Amino acid sequence: MSGLPILSLITFLPLLGALLIAVLPSSDPNLVRRTALGTALATWALSLVLLVAFALGQAGFQFKETADWIPSFGIQYKLGADGLSLLMVVLTTTLTWISILASFGPIKDRVKGYMVSFLVLEVGMIGVFLALDLFLFYIFWEIVLVPMYLIIGIWGGANRIYATMKFVLYTLVGSLLMLVAILATAFTYQAAHAGSWAGAFDYEKLQAFAAAGSFGHDFQLLAFLALFLAFAIKVPMFPFHTWLPDAHTEAPTAGSVILAGVLLKLGAYGLIRFAVPLYPFAAHTFAWPIIVLSVIAIVYGAIVSIVQPDLKRLVAYSSVSHMGFVTLGIFVFTATALQGAILQMISHGLITGGLFLLVGVVYERTHDRSIAKMGGLAATMPLWSTVFGFFILASAGLPGLSGFVGEFLVFVGSFTYAPGIALASIVVMVLAATYLLWMFQRVAFGTVSDFLRGLGDHVTDMSRAEFATLAPLAALIVLFGLFPSLILDFLHGPVQTFLAAAGAAVGG
Amino acid sequence: MNWSDVGTLAPIVIAVLTAAAVLVVDFAAPGRRAPAIAAALVGLTVVALVVLSLAGHTETAFGGAYVVDGLTAFLDLLFVAIAALTILFANDYLEPRGLPIAEFAAVLIFAITGAMLIAGSADLLLLFVALELMVLPGYLLAGFARNDPYSTEGAIKYFLLGSFSSAILLFGLAYVWGLTGSTRVTDVAAALARVATTGSIAPGLAMGLAFMTAGVAFKMAAVPFHYWTPDAYQGSPTPVTAYLSVGPKIGAFAIALRLFVAALGPLKADWLPIVIVLAALTMTLGNLVAITQDNVKRMLAYSSIAHTGYILVGLAAYAGGQHSGISAILFYGAAYTFMNMGAFAVVTALQRRPGVSSQISTFAGLGRRDPWLAALMTLFLLSLTGIPPLAGFWAKAYVIVAAIQAGGWLTALAVLAMLNAAAAAFYYLRVVVYMYMREPAEAAAPLSPGLLFRVGLAVTGVVTLVFGLFPAILNVVSNAADVLKG
Repeated sequence: MSGLPILSLITFLPLLGALLIAVLPSSDPNLVRRTALGTALATWALSLVLLVAFALGQAGFQFKETADWIPSFGIQYKLGADGLSLLMVVLTTTLTWISILASFGPIKDRVKGYMVSFLVLEVGMIGVFLALDLFLFYIFWEIVLVPMYLIIGIWGGANRIYATMKFVLYTLVGSLLMLVAILATAFTYQAAHAGSWAGAFDYEKLQAFAAAGSFGHDFQLLAFLALFLAFAIKVPMFPFHTWLPDAHTEAPTAGSVILAGVLLKLGAYGLIRFAVPLYPFAAHTFAWPIIVLSVIAIVYGAIVSIVQPDLKRLVAYSSVSHMGFVTLGIFVFTATALQGAILQMISHGLITGGLFLLVGVVYERTHDRSIAKMGGLAATMPLWSTVFGFFILASAGLPGLSGFVGEFLVFVGSFTYAPGIALASIVVMVLAATYLLWMFQRVAFGTVSDFLRGLGDHVTDMSRAEFATLAPLAALIVLFGLFPSLILDFLHGPVQTFLAAAGAAVGG
Repeated sequence: MNWSDVGTLAPIVIAVLTAAAVLVVDFAAPGRRAPAIAAALVGLTVVALVVLSLAGHTETAFGGAYVVDGLTAFLDLLFVAIAALTILFANDYLEPRGLPIAEFAAVLIFAITGAMLIAGSADLLLLFVALELMVLPGYLLAGFARNDPYSTEGAIKYFLLGSFSSAILLFGLAYVWGLTGSTRVTDVAAALARVATTGSIAPGLAMGLAFMTAGVAFKMAAVPFHYWTPDAYQGSPTPVTAYLSVGPKIGAFAIALRLFVAALGPLKADWLPIVIVLAALTMTLGNLVAITQDNVKRMLAYSSIAHTGYILVGLAAYAGGQHSGISAILFYGAAYTFMNMGAFAVVTALQRRPGVSSQISTFAGLGRRDPWLAALMTLFLLSLTGIPPLAGFWAKAYVIVAAIQAGGWLTALAVLAMLNAAAAAFYYLRVVVYMYMREPAEAAAPLSPGLLFRVGLAVTGVVTLVFGLFPAILNVVSNAADVLKG
């Protein structure tokens, strides 16, 4: 490995861009926009370099960087990537530049603050996926919160203040309890090592400690619950999902894209990386209730989606349903299901991100998102309707596209575990087709609605720039749908590690 | 008394001389504000330098009644910083209202002298005298805007309840003196250690403990002894409120360290339950009431009650057997000083024009009116909420670490503290909502704070960030805390 601290570079390059933007004159919004896009593209390029440099066959974390931060408590600045974190980082960097590009038109007010928030947000998100010190992880986790709070609250829709406060309070309650659990975990480790703080927050050391069955069962139950609550709120799992529809609906388009594409994945990533491997006994103890909640989320999200009158709200509730497959895939503890869950995380990020972008395109022209007012868009916006149809089919799980592979693998993986559960969740594929295609029919087909007719020339088809934000997503959806091994190749190591760690409970 | 005593007392002597010098300068150049401010700031700088030069070794004066050690030095520096920042912020508020700065600075420095004396008290009697020296000027400051009925009302409430609580504390001290036969902290601790081993404590001692707890709880504004706080804070001129929210509070915690930790340490198992209950009540009630406030000064007053609760968690952790609770208290005190004074400074800047209220609506659209001020206020509020990587986050983290290490009921207290922190986000972020997400009510002009004011703001902002990014500064604090290791 070369001496270049490439992970730190990727993590903090956006911060550098944000600082640069902060000193640019606010009188030239185009310069600000271009600098932000340039930074995001550079970060993206770096993350692709990482993808190439990553040694596939190797187990464990690569590109590791370690430095002491607060020696008196053994807190380190420690970064590292395995296949899972790598894929998540690339998903983040990809969606970030797309979101920034998609914000060029819609965001006209306080462009500087917006772009700075977005780049700081990227720092937090990448940091969460790369941190190998629990304390550092927590700090990045909280850093994500503030810019998203500002993005929804300042550049959001009419009810933005309510939505953003709800988002912050839900997330904070979870994350502060997580802090207590992290500290308690570190203290347990410290007490077992003759009071030495060295390594007490180090993920790899803690995981080895947990694999040896050294965390007591009662302790595991409490600590797991605290971490689980934090992650379940972020995913969001039923019944902690109520912040999501509000946040999604009120956020500006790019905010929704990142929220659905990356922020929800933070929760799932936390479950895979921390909650299960560190507290395997508790994870097994609570597996059934969590599986039941996941199935409820899958079915409930789909049913509620059917009756949503607002395009964004519909996509938001469909996220609850799709993310249910992810948590289901994690907690049945089979290799196939976990692979499916991770594939679903990525594919959901691409598909839902695209759907939000497409809704944003219509909103830019009509300043409305209600399904009832639309109709006949296929006639006025043919290109948009075609692309929208593609993403709808991808979301509904059309074979050959990435959404299908993820859900199918979760289905197969959980079938060996509990056939009933798997069958219940597969019924949802029918429901998904129902709400998505019905919505598509009402929006795109039929005669042009009076509302749209009234807007006249404003309803123009998608511009080339807007298409440019969607084309890469569509390409990736097809690519991963046809060649899921592109992703799965990265996952052998992480999946084996996860199953080994989760299996430790059976022995202990 | 001999000359070496004077050497040990040098910081306090110089502080008193500074206060006198400010008055003399004002007398020599009447009506001019700059010389008085300069005299005060130069004097305080000298005090800080002298404290630093004395730091590193322990010295006593007056036969052991006054002690200069690492803890004294740390608290002295903190108090000097509080005084200097208050003076930097005050002129922008006092000048437009025609209030004198020289008297203000002199009275303030007298109060700080008292606080510094508390920090070094190793004798119960000296502790009490020092406390009175700290709080009496505080009453004057609270009523400094003498034509403002709210200011007068706040000052009277503060004075009545303050004297009352001082009397209660003195009563408690008398009991302890009666039952241990000494006012010297080390002798009291030794006598109590003998009592503690026998198992049961005498009713008289229990009474003394109860009175002292109530007295100190009044001073730190812990629930249910907090009623004077909101009125005194809201009525006082804003720079005074900034001072009151940190100076006397940290002074009260200095008493707690010198009295409860040093003198009553042997009985800590007996006062632990009381502190746990006080901490739980204080942070929960402070936060819940703060949520309902529409006046930012009043909101910050209740928030300061909540922070008292978090600091008390550190004291409880100490009583639960974790010495790191002490360093957590000290770090919290330092972090809280800078972020809270910064937040009050922004309120002061908004109120520069007389007649502007501190209602939350005055913050509407501050993000457009003055982006820098709004950004700094956001920084302070996020730090008060406890978002990393800012000073307030580490303050909470250290308190929580100590509490979780102590275990038992204290783990539950740590969880309660975190839930409170989440609730607190609501009212802190509400101000951010007004600053960035609402438009200003009228076409308000940009604020133009004075040069001194900007220096003060820069200092508080930088410290809030630096404490956050380099929390290893805690080592300094834990060295100071080691003084109290029995």
